[in-house]
Amino acid sequence: MSATALAFLIFSFALFGIAGARAVFGLMIASLPFYIILGCFNIARGEKTVFSILLGLTLFPSLAYFLGFMVSFRIAIAMAFIVFIGMSVALKKFKAKK
Amino acid sequence: MTGYMKFSKSHAQTLIFAALYLFALYFWTQPLQERKIPYGEYDAMSHFEVADYIAYNDKSFQKLPPYIDLRYGGDNKFRPHTLWYPPAFHTSLAVAETIGGERIVPVFLLNAIMSTFIIISVYFVINSLFGFLPAILSSLLLVFSPRDFMPYLWGQWPERFAYAFIPIILYCFYRYFIYFSKEDKNPLYLYLTALFLGINILVHPLVFFHSVIGLAVLYVMLAIKQRKIVFSWKHSVIAGLIFLALFMMFPYQTFNIFSQFARGTDESAKNFDLSRIFQWSLNPKDYAGSVPPSYFSFAEMHGLWTLPFLLIGILFLVLRREERDLFMLAWLVSLYIILHRDLAGKASFLHRSLSASAHIFAPLAAIGAFYLSSIIKLPSNYSKYLKYGIAAVFIFFAFSVNMAYASKILNKNTYNDFFSTLNNEEYQAAQWSLDNIPSSANITILGIPHQEQFQSATSKKIRWFAAVSQHVTRFYYLREDREEILKSKDWYIVLDYTMLAPLNDKKTFDEMQQFERNASATHILAYGKNGIRVYKLAE
Repeated sequence: MSATALAFLIFSFALFGIAGARAVFGLMIASLPFYIILGCFNIARGEKTVFSILLGLTLFPSLAYFLGFMVSFRIAIAMAFIVFIGMSVALKKFKAKK
Repeated sequence: MTGYMKFSKSHAQTLIFAALYLFALYFWTQPLQERKIPYGEYDAMSHFEVADYIAYNDKSFQKLPPYIDLRYGGDNKFRPHTLWYPPAFHTSLAVAETIGGERIVPVFLLNAIMSTFIIISVYFVINSLFGFLPAILSSLLLVFSPRDFMPYLWGQWPERFAYAFIPIILYCFYRYFIYFSKEDKNPLYLYLTALFLGINILVHPLVFFHSVIGLAVLYVMLAIKQRKIVFSWKHSVIAGLIFLALFMMFPYQTFNIFSQFARGTDESAKNFDLSRIFQWSLNPKDYAGSVPPSYFSFAEMHGLWTLPFLLIGILFLVLRREERDLFMLAWLVSLYIILHRDLAGKASFLHRSLSASAHIFAPLAAIGAFYLSSIIKLPSNYSKYLKYGIAAVFIFFAFSVNMAYASKILNKNTYNDFFSTLNNEEYQAAQWSLDNIPSSANITILGIPHQEQFQSATSKKIRWFAAVSQHVTRFYYLREDREEILKSKDWYIVLDYTMLAPLNDKKTFDEMQQFERNASATHILAYGKNGIRVYKLAE
């Protein structure tokens, strides 16, 4: 999985420079919390990967959009990441206790 | 051996698919690789504008700024002058632009990733249900599917991404149904169905209706097959709440669906022809001027060579009728229903639903090719060779026919259009305008051809200038209030000489020179670079 992600980053850098690599990195960052959340459930690795990217492309920006009315959009992105990562860690701990 | 990870067949398959997907991304982003300039039709401009406004101004917005409102102010019937799409899709592009640190590449690259996500969805679903070979062959065909990349190039961006959800939604529901039937009764996949269905409506409502029809057909087919009604009040209520939470997330936009739906029967659907029942595609003449006739041709969009494989695939699934076969047939039937909704009086954007054809035709053709070898009875070793032989023929045709055709439409010169796409000088001037012209001011341009024979193309250039400059931008010579414009400090005047020399348009050149001489008494030069000059009224 990490090899594929690395290949994706190198590919985007080779074709589009640092802006392309950063955009792809952003997509990975947005998907990461959902990958952790879905990891708490009994689903296959492929499902986890595909579903988490879809959620990262939709739910993550939705929260950033709401927060972007209250704070700067850049900070909203960081806050959205903290919120979703917090949720994923909390869920993981909750599942581990169960 | 700690830390040693065996390189399994599954890893190899993932790497093969990753290589194919990166090739797809390379293929689809060719226009962007050549020129880091925004491109596409009017729809592309609108999606870029919304995403770019959020990222560039570092804030979310609901009420449309004037340069977007000018065209889209009335598109949201429920709350005019606000965003007409739920903002999830555009904010995703805005996140990419913010993290990417640049205006064009991150937006167009992420859009390419989202538009090609159907390749990932189809691979994932077909691999899960039918195995690697049909999955990779399906994906290969989708890379070169003009009915997918043409709307992507034109600018139907959210719709392209929304289609990637259909196989995922159907797959999740299929898993729920199958697990439920096996007495596992795990509701997780139903909740995921509701989650992705809710997201689907946030990305594109038209595709959401397609997903709903697909779910209904799949449910009926599986229920008949298993002679069992799968239903749980508890699961359904929770799934309903998940969907409702997403639906209510952006009510100004999702309620617009009801306003659009309440418009009643489309005039174009009233004269329907019952023979349409026996036709898959639509009449190209009904869409003349907006979509090229080739878009309606099976041979040009899928390659005629796929037809025998497609028919064998359908026949095979109809005869076998395992649950996974019904999954594919339900997907096919749902597309047929959606494509014939004009018979029920809903004809708007019918041609857009046709763009989903390859998503089901490609896997059906791949399944047809894959199972063709099983029809011919041979010793198992020979049967294996035959299977790979047919796959090799499939790959050969995909490259020699589909890729060859696709390359004529999608290549590094696509949208390298003198009349409709901004050139580098114009892009720089538009960027300067964004940074230096007050947001309340408007822009008017001389030098971009405004004559009738050019207007359909150059209007796009004017709109791209508006998108990049984030200002209302108009042709100077088409304004009736030219005298007032010259007296107003709310108008900046752009003289664009970059197109005149290639057009050998001396008349306009002389007029613009005269204009500059006259304007010098009242206006001052605010920008002058690379054949573009911007004037503003002297204080």
